[in-house]
Amino acid sequence: MIKRIPIFLWLLLLSTSMLAQSRVISGKVISIEDGQPIAGVNVVIKGTAVGTTTDVDGKYSLTANLGAVISFTFIGRSTKEITVGEQAIVDVSMDVDAKQLGEVVVVGYGTMEKRDLTGNVAQISSAALNGIPVTSIEQSMQGKAAGVFIESQNGKLGQGIKVRIRGASSLSASNQPLYVIDGIPVTSQSQSSNGAETNPLADLNFNDVASVEILKDASAAAIYGSRAANGVVLITTKRGKSGKTNFSINYFTGVSKETGRRQFLNAQQYVDVESQAATNAAALDPSFPYVAFNNSRLQRYAAGNTNYTTYNTDWQNQVFRAAPMNQIDVSASGGNDKTRFFVSGQYSDQNGILIGNSFKRLTARMNLDHKATDKFNFGINFNFARTENHRLSNDNFFSTPLQIVALSPITPTVDPRTSLLSGELDNSTGLPNTNFPVYYNPMISVNNAHYVATVYRNWSNAYATYTFLPGLTFRSEVGADILFQTEDQYLGSLTVRDTGTPNGQGFNTTTLVVNYTTNNYLKFEKTMGLHTFDLTGGMSFQRSRNDGTSITAQQFPSDAYKNISGAALIVAASAAPTNFSFLSYFARGNYKFKDRYLLSLSGRVDGSSRFGDDNRYGFFPAASAGWIVSEESFMQNFNYVSNLKLRASYGLTGNAEISNFASRGLYSPAPYVGAGGQAPSQLKNPNLKWETTAQMDIGLDFSILNSRISFEIDYYQKKTSDLLLARNVKGTSGFQTYIQNVGNLENKGVEFVVSSQNYVGEFKWATSFNLAHNENKITNLAGQLLGTNDLNRAIEGQPIGVFYGREFAGADKNNGDALYVLNTKNPDGSINRGTTNDFNAAQQVVLGNPNPKWVGGITNNFSYKGIDLSIVFQGVQGNKIYNAGGQYMSSSASNGYDNQTTDQLRAWKNPGDVTDVPQLRLFFANGVNPSSRYITDGSYLRLKTLTLGYNLPKAVISRLKMEKMRIYFSAQNLLTFTAYKGWDPEVNADAFASNINQGQDFYSAPQPKTYTMGINIGF
Amino acid sequence: MKISNILKSLMVGIVLTSCNNQLDIQPSTSVDASQALLTSKDVKGTLVGAYANMGSTNLYGGGIYVYSDLLASTGTDINFFGTFQGLTQISNKEIPINNTFVSGVWLNAYTTINNVNEVLAALSVVNSVDRNQVEGEAKFIRASMYFELVKLFAKAWNDGDPNSNLGVPIVLNPTHSLDDANVAPARNTVKQVYDQIISDLTAAETKLPPPDNETYYYATTGAAAAQLARVYLTQGAYDLARDAAHRVISSGYYRLETNYSDEFPYIGRAVRIYNKPEDIFALQISEQQGTNNMNNYYAQSNLGGRGDIEIASDFLNTFPGGDSRLSMFTDDGSGSLFYSDKFDNLYGNVKILRLAEMYLIRAEGNLRMGTTVGNAPLSDVNIVRNRAGVTPLASVSIQNILDERRWELAFEGQWLSDYKRSATDVATVPATPWNSPSLVFPIPQREIIVNPNLIQNEGY
Repeated sequence: MIKRIPIFLWLLLLSTSMLAQSRVISGKVISIEDGQPIAGVNVVIKGTAVGTTTDVDGKYSLTANLGAVISFTFIGRSTKEITVGEQAIVDVSMDVDAKQLGEVVVVGYGTMEKRDLTGNVAQISSAALNGIPVTSIEQSMQGKAAGVFIESQNGKLGQGIKVRIRGASSLSASNQPLYVIDGIPVTSQSQSSNGAETNPLADLNFNDVASVEILKDASAAAIYGSRAANGVVLITTKRGKSGKTNFSINYFTGVSKETGRRQFLNAQQYVDVESQAATNAAALDPSFPYVAFNNSRLQRYAAGNTNYTTYNTDWQNQVFRAAPMNQIDVSASGGNDKTRFFVSGQYSDQNGILIGNSFKRLTARMNLDHKATDKFNFGINFNFARTENHRLSNDNFFSTPLQIVALSPITPTVDPRTSLLSGELDNSTGLPNTNFPVYYNPMISVNNAHYVATVYRNWSNAYATYTFLPGLTFRSEVGADILFQTEDQYLGSLTVRDTGTPNGQGFNTTTLVVNYTTNNYLKFEKTMGLHTFDLTGGMSFQRSRNDGTSITAQQFPSDAYKNISGAALIVAASAAPTNFSFLSYFARGNYKFKDRYLLSLSGRVDGSSRFGDDNRYGFFPAASAGWIVSEESFMQNFNYVSNLKLRASYGLTGNAEISNFASRGLYSPAPYVGAGGQAPSQLKNPNLKWETTAQMDIGLDFSILNSRISFEIDYYQKKTSDLLLARNVKGTSGFQTYIQNVGNLENKGVEFVVSSQNYVGEFKWATSFNLAHNENKITNLAGQLLGTNDLNRAIEGQPIGVFYGREFAGADKNNGDALYVLNTKNPDGSINRGTTNDFNAAQQVVLGNPNPKWVGGITNNFSYKGIDLSIVFQGVQGNKIYNAGGQYMSSSASNGYDNQTTDQLRAWKNPGDVTDVPQLRLFFANGVNPSSRYITDGSYLRLKTLTLGYNLPKAVISRLKMEKMRIYFSAQNLLTFTAYKGWDPEVNADAFASNINQGQDFYSAPQPKTYTMGINIGF
Repeated sequence: MKISNILKSLMVGIVLTSCNNQLDIQPSTSVDASQALLTSKDVKGTLVGAYANMGSTNLYGGGIYVYSDLLASTGTDINFFGTFQGLTQISNKEIPINNTFVSGVWLNAYTTINNVNEVLAALSVVNSVDRNQVEGEAKFIRASMYFELVKLFAKAWNDGDPNSNLGVPIVLNPTHSLDDANVAPARNTVKQVYDQIISDLTAAETKLPPPDNETYYYATTGAAAAQLARVYLTQGAYDLARDAAHRVISSGYYRLETNYSDEFPYIGRAVRIYNKPEDIFALQISEQQGTNNMNNYYAQSNLGGRGDIEIASDFLNTFPGGDSRLSMFTDDGSGSLFYSDKFDNLYGNVKILRLAEMYLIRAEGNLRMGTTVGNAPLSDVNIVRNRAGVTPLASVSIQNILDERRWELAFEGQWLSDYKRSATDVATVPATPWNSPSLVFPIPQREIIVNPNLIQNEGY
């Protein structure tokens, strides 16, 4: 990594003449990285007061003597000095000052210089986010911030995304971070009604985002008090800069395919496997005619053919598709000294890799800033979005496209007896088939059902600042996040086998979430000699009201009527208004001494409607300190060290994301066939309060070689106490759970960040690398075992969601029975590793951890002349995945007629066979209970984004009156390296996902692999 | 006024205005418990809620009957082909202690019991005219829940000593606070549970009125007597069972449908049908409320069900010739497996107690006691056979009655109890002894964990 500072400008020196002669010098100042003009550069003749500034086109003109030195200075860029020579025109390219790079970071209620930061804030710049062909901002952040684990539940568009900042800190309350856009907390909770989460952040056009700051430690986050325990994501949108109006148009078009497939049996293999399973079953139980039965079933599934292999269908071909996507972004920004603006619009049209899934987004934004006087500024952000999501059933429905793999490969896609889709019609009844194919055919839903969620979203806020005295500023903000959603579903009469509702079912919801916030605070900054103070204090009030109604109706005259107004019968209707509010007071003081000793104190008092009468207000303080060692005199000899800073912080944050009335004793409606009724639904807990997370962070920032290489290392410990736990109570009480502050858990880990400018100059190569390790452990659960699904549990001493159950031991080599390791305790205390075929006799043990041990990413950006190349890898390591569909698809053909994965061909056949697949036994459920049989490693490394771009030469585009034209090719999720045999290792079945239920695959769609071609135009 | 002054006042105003009252937000879709049981109407509403909970899918919505029949299945009668692994486990008689269907029965039953305990504790609020009826209905519901629990989670009455065999915990007081919920009841004996059931049902029979019309569907004195007849039959107290059944039959409020299929009507579309004259007690399902879980598992998919359970031809072959009850089966196309059509109506009620069974209980009671209270045993059995269109018997044995019950009450959740009380092994391969621990549910794992006083059943 040899530094090669661009020195061509210095060549000017060679032609310097020593004649002292006054002359007019003019020129243009541009930025070195993109050639854009820089307005407002101070151009001064060194040693004099003579100078000027560049205009909006970056142009300047001044009179100077030969030999005089002209200095060009601009915040954020390295100062340039030029000695006046023969030339009358001196054009200057200014480079970004590496020392000041990313200098300003957004923090809660303000900004700070990164140098002065004592907390841990990860920053992702717009360049790393913009233009990525994904649906929501979190997906574009994947792999780009240390300690931020981002996982999509599956490949369905606009659905739930798990974000864990430094691990999960709660069992029953939310583990998602607080999202704040331009200072206003926004609604990020799913508003979905179909059992799979949606992601309200998908309404955001993330090409409007200037930067994302992730507040990770207590020092950074405590100012958000009771909602900061999971970290805070601050999203700041772009604002105009004074200067000429810049227009930009970005367009891309592309296509997505699935990242992977699972291998299933073909027709011949299926017939062989099922027949063998029937023969084996008959040998064990002669009382039932398994073989004859099997033959009749095979004939049924082969659409009546006695030649069972007449058809050979690969059902995955039916539901996966090459899905097109198109997106156009336009923006204009600019302004003058007084008024600046940023205006943008986006239209995005994405199709899912699964048939029937699509997502459209239309957004418009205007951010306006006005300087009324030197003291008074105000501005407004206005954002409108409309999204339309054509959704699919959740992963647990026969109608979700990927459950099609359960159908037999011997079944034709179109039933030749009816020339309609298999299952659509039984000629004898005139109704859909009831038992052909094996299950409901999801293809029937493609044309006979829809589920459209349409969201109108308005994020708007206004602010005003007034400077009373130099350094003393008051800022007031009012913001509203208005989310209006309609969901419209119609399930046609042909879907009856899936819905259980003959003659159609309509479902309609409207949801209005009005979430408004006001922040009012004073900021005071003062430098007195070696002391610098920066104080912030104020209040915040937030109220959110959610009004939702829904109607379900049945009995439609025909499938031509798809709206509930056509229904004869209203079967369910509900209205569910609910509210919450937060009233908060916050303060922060930063103190800096001699530019090297940093101290920061912050705190927030939060009151919430959600908590018990006895614990309505909570206090969340944090303290941190930093020492910029590199400023010390004893460091001055170490020239290669540009920055060395030690940081430490400690503080408390809270988690308040529980249901709005969790502290109340409640009765809820329990009607009985037309009579109104009620029943107790919740026990009262007047003591209910926040979960508290005490977090300690020690960090080191280190950069060398003029900041060409910088390191950040952090160690943290997060100890959460008073867990908001839906604690199991004795079922004999008539209640099942009681929400109580009980239990503890902890996360500890390390984070590494390395960024380096490997090459600078004409050929540039920059690398940014992050890696984080987190260890989650539940330390106290009051003796409970929580978790209701197959294997995910919360257990004391183990990470959240750990897989807990019987340890599978393969097939008995003598008879092919499924075996389990006993894991019982011997009298001498040792563990009995003997095996048993009695599932219940085997003890349950910890089988694996769904939480990754390591998460990380590496971004490499290259550029040479007009060519740029960006390569982003992202990965997780050390997590396990449980295939909950294994009990059907990899069941030794012993659990019904589901098509089997090809690994079942390894099944035990003869005494002496050693294999992990028990003998095929029709209906004998040979080893299909949830066990480690279906758990595999989920580590993966992914080539997340690969982008190759080409900037057309200036000469060409200036003729077109443009400033920039770039064409590019990009691929998302191009390569995935994993040992996981399923569709895709980034998975958590949407129907079951929760804090505890993690790492489950259940017919979940893989991630899309997307290829795009695009063009960026600037003028 | 200068801008700065305006701002200053604005700021001070905003900051100082107390928003504290903004933190007091009342729920609007639920009611605070302290406001829920203030009036007579409130208490009656809570009783309605208890019916709703009793009708949950795991209980009298049908689950209890489906699970118990699957536990009693042999492979040559009913077969579970569905994808719910928990039901496969029950059907295979290999139930892990965390089976969610098992814990669902336990939890929902105790939720229902707590509902009626709330009602019983608030009886003084009920207006005096309705008080007896409210008490009687509540006690009928409580007794029914304990009866189902003790049958599924404990050894049979005739399996060893009911005085020492563990039943289920008896809880008679409502839970109002965490302290109440923290009480850790131990399992009462089988005998104590039966005593409680009989005491509640006896009180209910006295306090409840007869049905005021044929479609009436809340608990009546007849329902209490009919349930009592079943309880006594399970205990082998044949005289008491006979008498209770006789009280129901002789009350005159009930009559058999002319055709067996009329008792399980399906008129070509799913529609709510109120009680039939033969129904003594049934859980109602409407388009808006309740789920017919029998339909869910037995009915074909175009009738709203999943068609998970199919009936083997071996079982159909055991029916007497010309039995009209055989018309309630549809070949699935294989010739060897059939769907039952008894539950084709998605909104049909779920039969809990019906008159045909009372004839068979009275017959069995009389036959075993050598009496003819109300009618001769042979005549009672032939009443049921006649309605089914089967040749009347010339003479009757206990086995005849047990067979008749198996056909008449097929898939209505009585098989397991009949095997056990008659000490008949279940004809699986190899046979499962009638008193096998595998024919008893485990106490749910979650319950064992939270309540150290509970002892797990043998075999788990």
